Amino acid sequence: MTDHENLETPAPAQVADWELELQKVGFVRRVLRARKWYRADWWFVVISSLMVVGFLIIAIWPQWFAPHDPLEQVGPRLLSPGELPESEVLILPEDSPFGGIADFTRDERIPVAVMLDTPSSEAARDEAERVTDEIAASGGEGRIRLQIMRFESIEETLDAVVSGEATAAVASSKTFAAAAAGYPTLRNAGGVSSEAQDTTSFILGTNQVGQDVLSRLIWGARIAIIIGFSAAIASFVLGVPLGLIAGFAGGKLDRLMTLVMDSIYAFPGLILAIAITAVLGPSIVNIIVAIAVLYIPTYYRIVRGQTLSAKEELYVEAAKSLGARSRVILGRYIFPNVIPSVAVIFSVNVADAILTGAGLSFLGLGLPLDTPDWGIDLARGQEFIRSAWWLITFPGLAVMLIVLAFTMMGEGLVEIFNPKLRDR
Amino acid sequence: MVFGVPAALALLWVFIRGSEALRRYILTRIALTLPMVLILVSVVFFVLRVMPGDVVSSTLGPKASEEVRENIIESLGLDDPLIVQYFKFLGDVVTLDLGDSFIGARRPIVDELGERLPATLELIIPAAIVALGTGLLFGTFAAVRRKRTADYGLRLYSVIVYSMPIFWLGLLLRLVFSVWLGWTPIAGRIDVVANTTLERTTNLLTVDSIISGNWSALLSVLHHMILPTLTLGLVLSGVFIRLTRINVIETLQEDYVISARARGIRERVVTYSYALKNAMIPVVTVIGLQVAILLAGAVLTETVFNWPGMGRYLIQRISARDFQAVQSTVAVFAMFVALISLAVDVIYSVLDPRVKY
Amino acid sequence: MTQDAIAADRSSVATGDVLYSIRDLSVEYGTRAGEVAAVDRVSLDIRKGEILGLVGESGCGKSTLGKAMMRMISPPGRITQGELWFAGEDLMTVSEAQMREIRGARLGMVFQDPMTSLNPLSKIVDHLTETITTHEPSVSEAAARDRAEQLIGRLGLRVERIDDYPHQFSGGMRQRIMIALALALRADLVIADEPTTALDVIVEAQFLDLLRELRAEFDLTIIMITHNIGVVAEVADRVAVMYAGRMAELGSVDEVFLDTKHPYGQGLLRAVPNIELDGSDLYQMEGAPPNLLHTPSGCPFHPRCPHVMPICSEREPAFAEVTPGHRASCWLFQEHDGEGER
Ligand SMILES: Nc1ncnc2c1ncn2[C@@H]1O[C@H](COP(=O)(O)OP(=O)(O)O)[C@@H](O)[C@H]1O
Ligand SMILES: [Mg+2]
Repeated sequence: MTDHENLETPAPAQVADWELELQKVGFVRRVLRARKWYRADWWFVVISSLMVVGFLIIAIWPQWFAPHDPLEQVGPRLLSPGELPESEVLILPEDSPFGGIADFTRDERIPVAVMLDTPSSEAARDEAERVTDEIAASGGEGRIRLQIMRFESIEETLDAVVSGEATAAVASSKTFAAAAAGYPTLRNAGGVSSEAQDTTSFILGTNQVGQDVLSRLIWGARIAIIIGFSAAIASFVLGVPLGLIAGFAGGKLDRLMTLVMDSIYAFPGLILAIAITAVLGPSIVNIIVAIAVLYIPTYYRIVRGQTLSAKEELYVEAAKSLGARSRVILGRYIFPNVIPSVAVIFSVNVADAILTGAGLSFLGLGLPLDTPDWGIDLARGQEFIRSAWWLITFPGLAVMLIVLAFTMMGEGLVEIFNPKLRDR
Repeated sequence: MVFGVPAALALLWVFIRGSEALRRYILTRIALTLPMVLILVSVVFFVLRVMPGDVVSSTLGPKASEEVRENIIESLGLDDPLIVQYFKFLGDVVTLDLGDSFIGARRPIVDELGERLPATLELIIPAAIVALGTGLLFGTFAAVRRKRTADYGLRLYSVIVYSMPIFWLGLLLRLVFSVWLGWTPIAGRIDVVANTTLERTTNLLTVDSIISGNWSALLSVLHHMILPTLTLGLVLSGVFIRLTRINVIETLQEDYVISARARGIRERVVTYSYALKNAMIPVVTVIGLQVAILLAGAVLTETVFNWPGMGRYLIQRISARDFQAVQSTVAVFAMFVALISLAVDVIYSVLDPRVKY
Repeated sequence: MTQDAIAADRSSVATGDVLYSIRDLSVEYGTRAGEVAAVDRVSLDIRKGEILGLVGESGCGKSTLGKAMMRMISPPGRITQGELWFAGEDLMTVSEAQMREIRGARLGMVFQDPMTSLNPLSKIVDHLTETITTHEPSVSEAAARDRAEQLIGRLGLRVERIDDYPHQFSGGMRQRIMIALALALRADLVIADEPTTALDVIVEAQFLDLLRELRAEFDLTIIMITHNIGVVAEVADRVAVMYAGRMAELGSVDEVFLDTKHPYGQGLLRAVPNIELDGSDLYQMEGAPPNLLHTPSGCPFHPRCPHVMPICSEREPAFAEVTPGHRASCWLFQEHDGEGER
């Protein structure tokens, strides 16, 4: 996405020496005045660098940030962000003398209304038994006895309480909340169980198997960074030397390699990666190999171009005539020249690799199915698009932010390494 | 097989209408495209073969019996030396005899692809129009407003859409417009009902419904096209905005722009007629490369929207472990890329009077 | 044009009807290293009907001055002070829309590089008709085309070629087209910025001849920006010499060339290759061109001046008349207290 092709500095036109100096500003001055020169770009660089650092920290120590194990079922299924898990609550008339099941008159059958086929009756009985045991344990007399009345619907259940047929009702908090508006004389007396119960909510909700979305997101950063960096490093390690060699050697070898590289470059990368992973089979190493192949040409092209122009330059000629060996020339003279452009490409490539990796795992080609990976989470979440918007929102957002961070950093580097682009 | 219909038609038109010199140019250019196809197809072949994976076990799964394995190896010719396989494959590609599909009715792969290519075209062409349209418009706007808020805003927009996973944008659009608002269909190319009434000839459903005068089908097709094309188009628009912006900025500094201003030509004319038109030439040259992004994006978009094109075919065949079909589909994609880059070059030569054929 | 008219023309030059008057103009470019004072408090009167040569080393601010006269300085440059009087109006005060109407219609500009100054995607005829119809919306396309054909014919190009694209023409032909564009609406003043630098010698001579003819025929005033003294000597009536964004010397061609006052002007003239001179002892002016980021104190030329005096680095000389009509900014010709000449 960056303007790779424009990275070479132009040959100076006929300008006076001092005019050239206008562009040659010392490093310190450049940093100090960067904010003024680059204006919004300066902020792009700062913000994106902070984001990159943040993502790196999360990727290195996900356990510090993730509240739960990303592979464990830690809550109910499909809990929306911030939602409390459902609990069974006791519903009493406003004027009821009782505060909870523990206050119920002992040894008397208290009628309690519940809905058919819900865990409400069990919750009520469990609590009654627990209270009875407690009384016995503390040497008291009597027991709590409940007469469970079952109804078809929540309305019938609540009507029974209003009419006095039942002393109280037990229902799930969600069900009651939905019907409560029609029953102003009833109140929610809190959880049925007086014991501490599981009331944790999940900041980004839970997925279809009750895993914490946030924890999976955080661990997903590790996968993304591993894929992004390994692929970019691998293609760097292959692409840069190939470019150097081709540019330096020239001739038939150069032409052939360039032809092949250009073809890979022109080919839709994702499709090639799909084909490669299809053959290799799903694993993180295979994803990295597939993506690395795609980005070799980006390094190759820029390094070859720069090597060609560096070769023309006088100092290399001089070095050659002094009898320097090719390897020395490559390492000492050409390689340092290529570094700035390569740094930019590297940053952008990390971004592209993460994007491609997410695409592959979205297609189900990359990683084992339960890996906490953003692409996989998106693919698995799309079935639940009607009921659970959070499953398809957050993993994509995470991909976008991390790609944005690396891309913007790359862009910022272009601006700084190549002020010419700016002054045009 | 309906292969690259619009590109071929455009080429044909230019060929017939063009001058003698242009015709000769097109012929040479086609001659130059052949090596490119050869290389792309070879790259596909060797990348797939050189990779250390085992084609047979990924085709059959690990549990297949030794007998079945050997059968397959023989029928796919996998026991031949690599070089023999390579030339056989090239021969197959040239004659478009890509073998039979490994699963289902075992139809020829060429036929299956032929049915899916129009669907892909019907996705990527409107998407390219969306991307190019917004790119040229907003890119020019950003260039004119360089270093002002609108410019920074548009640059931020283009980086953001570039960073969006395309399948995510698809899912989000679908969540908002199909699930929450209910304005657009969830997936597919056409309603079930309309589908039964539509007579298919080209498999380009818009074209089919127009030539058969089936307006309700057309409506349904267009309705289904909105989200997929928007998804693909928007993601690409970022790239085009950037490209246009940088090139318009460059042309706005050209001498002919400055001397047009010195003649008192209106700024609007200077921007759109001088700068933009000239900037479009380099933009068109790199469309060849954007096609790669377009096709990659199409694979994901097709998967999200159950769009029965070549990309989804590829993914389906991978899950079905139909290796022959995978290899052939990728090869066809390669030819497609080459064809488009040919078409782009021809358009370029028509756009720019300076090109000497 | 009759002999009489030409005579009248000459006399108006002599009497000095001022067509365009630059007053105290400064232009600065903001660069990373600081402000570049490309034009520094320049005042100059352009007389009606004259060809004024504007000379100086490359980088001394000639083009900037020309563009400023059209009010076409674009960021990072800006006009920091000054007035531009043209036809009774200060162009610094008119609106951008009015300015656009003046450009092309009454002020024309011809740029250095004819190869890049025409839109490669438009035919020659379109350049001309567009210019005409922009300024005279009532003219029909066909009438504009007629006028374009006449102009092209007058400038010595074959009329059939009007439908060709710029890249099909040679440099000299394109420069003629550029002139045609400036003349399409009969501009009063044409600023030609190094119009012949990119042309070879023979084409240059033809072009200069044409320019002189056109001046008489179209009643033109021309500012000829160049670093080529020979060109100025050939066509100009008066010469202005610029140095480091300032005026160094101004006078008629004879005055400046035969009785050069400013040491910079003298150096410039000695640096001109002269056929009578032996090529080997061509004079090379000492020192580097001035740094406009940090213009030397006092007279900007003093670091290179062979006649430098103590005062030169301390105070800036005025751009004062030495003889009537002949100005130079040099302490050699101005009263100053005490320090004395060497
Ligand atoms: N766009 C610009 N940005 C910064 N400095 C400029 C720009 N254009 C011109 N300059 C500076 O202004 C000075 C005068 O330039 P110019 O008017 O082109 O000189 P000339 O035409 O005499 O060669 C030069 O020294 C140059 O450095
Ligand atoms: Mg100049």
